[in-house]
Amino acid sequence: MRKIIILISFLALASAVFFSACVNEDSIKYQRYYSDGLQMYKDHCQSCHMDDGNGLASLIPPLSDTTYLKTNRKMLACYIVYGLSDTIKINGKLYEGKMPAEKHLASIDLAKILTYITNSFGNKQGIFDVKEIEKNLIDCSRDTTQVVSAK
Amino acid sequence: MKISSLYILLVGSIFFLACNSAPKQLPILGSREPIEKTVDGKKVVDTLYQTIPAFSLINQDNTIINNDSLKNSIYVADFFFTSCPSICPIMSKNLLTVYEKFKGNKEVRFLSHTIDPKHDTIPVLKKYADKLGVKGTQWSFLLGSKDSVYLLAKDGYMSYSKQNDSIPGGYEHSGYFLLVDKDKRIRGAYDGTDKNQVAQMSKDMDILLSEYHKK
Repeated sequence: MRKIIILISFLALASAVFFSACVNEDSIKYQRYYSDGLQMYKDHCQSCHMDDGNGLASLIPPLSDTTYLKTNRKMLACYIVYGLSDTIKINGKLYEGKMPAEKHLASIDLAKILTYITNSFGNKQGIFDVKEIEKNLIDCSRDTTQVVSAK
Repeated sequence: MKISSLYILLVGSIFFLACNSAPKQLPILGSREPIEKTVDGKKVVDTLYQTIPAFSLINQDNTIINNDSLKNSIYVADFFFTSCPSICPIMSKNLLTVYEKFKGNKEVRFLSHTIDPKHDTIPVLKKYADKLGVKGTQWSFLLGSKDSVYLLAKDGYMSYSKQNDSIPGGYEHSGYFLLVDKDKRIRGAYDGTDKNQVAQMSKDMDILLSEYHKK
C-alpha cells in the first residue's frame, strides 16, 4: 500500500515536471522570439512605424490596429518581404504610400519580427513560427504568379 | 538683529534668483569676421556673422519662398525627401510636435527642403503636407533645382546632402534641424531624430522669440 502511494506520488510529480517543462519551453521560445523581434523591429521597421507602432499621421499606417493585423495575419510576412504598394484602408483611413521590400530577411527573422509586432501595440496574437512564415510566403508567391499568368 | 539679517538674506536671494532667471541668449553659430565701419566719423570694428545666402524656392502651394518672405520670422530648416525610408519619418514626426506648438504664430516658419526634386514635384509635396496634416504655408515644403538646394545645404546651413545609390532611398542627408533667426543667422542645430534635442529646440525657439519682444 505504502509503495503504491509512493509510486503514484512519484508519477504525479514526474508528469507535473514534464508538463511544466513543455509549457516553459514554449514560453521561453516565445520570449526569445519576442525580445529578438524587438531588436529587429528597431533595425528594420521603427524608423517608419515608430517606437509606439503608431506610424506617422496619414502617411505611414499604424501597427496598433488589432483588427487589421488579425484579418491579414497570413499576408504580413509577404508585406515585409515584397513590400506594399497598394492602397490600404485601416480604421477608415486610406494609406497610399509605398512600403519598401525587405527581401534579405530570413524566415526566422520574419517570425521574430512578426511575433514582436503581433504581440505589441495592443495586439495579442501569440507566436509566429518559422513553419507558418514559410507557408505564408509560398501561398502569397503562388497567388502573385496566378495573378500574373491570368493576365 | 536676527530678523533683520534674515531679511537681508531673503532680499539677497531674491536678487540672486532674479539674475539667474534672466532669459539666456542663444549663441550665434557659423563663421564670423570683423569689419570696419564708420559711425559718426569714427572708425569702429563690428562683427559680420555668417548668414543664409539669398535663395528662391517654390513651396507645395506654388508660392515662391525667398529671403524676403521670411524677413519677419524665425524658422526651422531641414532637408528630406518624401520617399525616404530611413530617418525622415521620425524627423517629420518630431517636427510635427513643434509645429503644433507654434501653429498660427506668424513669427515662426518651418522649411523642409526636398533633396529629390526629380520625384518630389509640387503635387507630391502637396500630398505629403496634406497627409501630414499641415495646412497653409507656415510649414513650407520646398522644391528647387538639385544643385541650388545642395549648395544651400552646404554653404548656408552647414548641412550636407548628396545622392548615394548604395543606401536605401538613394539619397543621404544629415538629420539636423537648423534654427535661424530673423537676421538669417543660425542660432541652433539639433538632431532631428532625437526627441530630447527637439524638445530643447522648442524651448530655444521661445528664447529666440523673446529676444525680439524685449525691444
